[in-house]
Amino acid sequence: MSFIAVEGKQVELDEDGFLVEPSDWNEAIVSIFAKSEDVEELTEEHWKVINYLREYFKKFGMAPMVRKMCKDTGLTLKQIYELFPTGPAKGACKLAGLPKPTGCV
Amino acid sequence: MKPPLNLAKESDVNAIGFTVTRPEDHKQRTLEKMAELRDSMRSLMVMLETCTKCGNCAQQCHSYLGTGDYNNFPAARAELMRRVYKRYFTTAGKMFGRFNGAEEFDEETLSKWVTYFYQCNECRRCARYCPFGIDTAEVTIAARHILSELGIMPKFMQSIASAMIKSGNNMGISKLACLDCVEFMEEEMQEETGLDIKIPVDKPNSDILYVPSSADFFTNVDTMIGVAKMFHHLGVNWTIPSSVLEAANFGLLFNLDVMREQNQRLNAAALELGASLVVQGECGHGWRAAKMYTEGASGPVPFKIMHVLEYCDEHLHELPLRKLPMKVTLHDPCNYSRGGGIIEQPRRIIRACVEEFVEMTPTGADNFCCGGGSGLLMDEMLEIRMQLGKKKAEQIKALGQIDYLAIPCSICKAQIPTVMKHYGLEGFEKGGVMDLVGKAMIYDKPEEE
Repeated sequence: MSFIAVEGKQVELDEDGFLVEPSDWNEAIVSIFAKSEDVEELTEEHWKVINYLREYFKKFGMAPMVRKMCKDTGLTLKQIYELFPTGPAKGACKLAGLPKPTGCV
Repeated sequence: MKPPLNLAKESDVNAIGFTVTRPEDHKQRTLEKMAELRDSMRSLMVMLETCTKCGNCAQQCHSYLGTGDYNNFPAARAELMRRVYKRYFTTAGKMFGRFNGAEEFDEETLSKWVTYFYQCNECRRCARYCPFGIDTAEVTIAARHILSELGIMPKFMQSIASAMIKSGNNMGISKLACLDCVEFMEEEMQEETGLDIKIPVDKPNSDILYVPSSADFFTNVDTMIGVAKMFHHLGVNWTIPSSVLEAANFGLLFNLDVMREQNQRLNAAALELGASLVVQGECGHGWRAAKMYTEGASGPVPFKIMHVLEYCDEHLHELPLRKLPMKVTLHDPCNYSRGGGIIEQPRRIIRACVEEFVEMTPTGADNFCCGGGSGLLMDEMLEIRMQLGKKKAEQIKALGQIDYLAIPCSICKAQIPTVMKHYGLEGFEKGGVMDLVGKAMIYDKPEEE
């Protein structure tokens, strides 16, 4: 449990560094999280994945199946790992402001 | 000593219906819970009373071999509880204390319990080599249960219990999300086979209730697809329950009352949908929980429980399978091969699906745990998890080049790829056994005109 300062506001993070409140998400947070998840530079493709994850989460309340994410974004799993070295369940979800997926992942 | 895992904070503990015991009451509450378990769990008392410290278990425990930590030597791990048991529950221990190997229960003991009972994978390999059959997993299960009754539990376990309460599965998949996943998998199968293969959800009057691992709805899609193709080909009346989209039962891994609730959920779903057969998906500990404890939790039940690998093995001769040009080995999930009755079935299935099957050493009931067993998948324990996976990495390395490592359990499926990468073992695929069945099925695609 910790807090980070984002544009003058204290934002709460859970034990794994994910947002406690998904509604706290904003673009400034993405830049902060990028550093801890080994994302050097945020490109258009990163944003494509982030926006896709946010849209899906808004609709279904969870992260999409990894294969569905690949199919819908047109990226291979390898490319997703290149974009988010810590993986789709950790890095990509964290940057998109989703809660950390629980269970056997 | 600070345990190497994140514990759930009080508000989270309360949110899943537990209370937190104040430190000054830790001892009293622990002894009350031990007394309860002494009466309800006879096996535990046998495990606590019979050890002769012969040391046979040390070289058989991947946790001790991987970490080199004395307290991970099974006899030493069990001793953490045994000493407390002796001090408060035996005459010799009450009278002679330390001279009789007894020890007071204090905060230091408590920290050791949290640390070391969460470095045991409950794999039961020690029990196989113990001349008295002492099963440290039983001691670990009891210790974790007592800790949770004090309100001490890993955040990881608490998050899963919380998701389970909300959705009936570990990942928090709602029915809406489940239906979306199902639609996606049906489209994938349609594209591949040209056939309309369904994954029925909550279909009333189903003969078979199939209980998948919820991870099959996130990362392990091919396992669910393999199962759907099999049921489709056999033409059976089956369904999956959105209320229990989960073969896992993490209660077994941290609190026995939570386990009972999940068992009862399974029973309710089977009764509601009218199933006479419950088929459990690829999940190791969940198989143990369903097979061993469903009747204990719900009384006699009007359905039979089988594992999907048992079911598939029984129907193997009815499936149109071709042999894929692959060299495949099998990792035996601990809860299948030690006391779970599943050793030969996956081997027969794999042999029917691929050209070459090779055994790792040791294998079957002697196989080593992946190091993630009993739910040790916490990110903060990554370094320890890699040590726990060291024996598994050595086993795979000794095989030389393979094409596919079959791991029919979701915990193993989450742990093993990380272990393989950590030890520089790459260049092969990893996945379930049912995944292979799905890929080996022969379809006569309608000729394109």
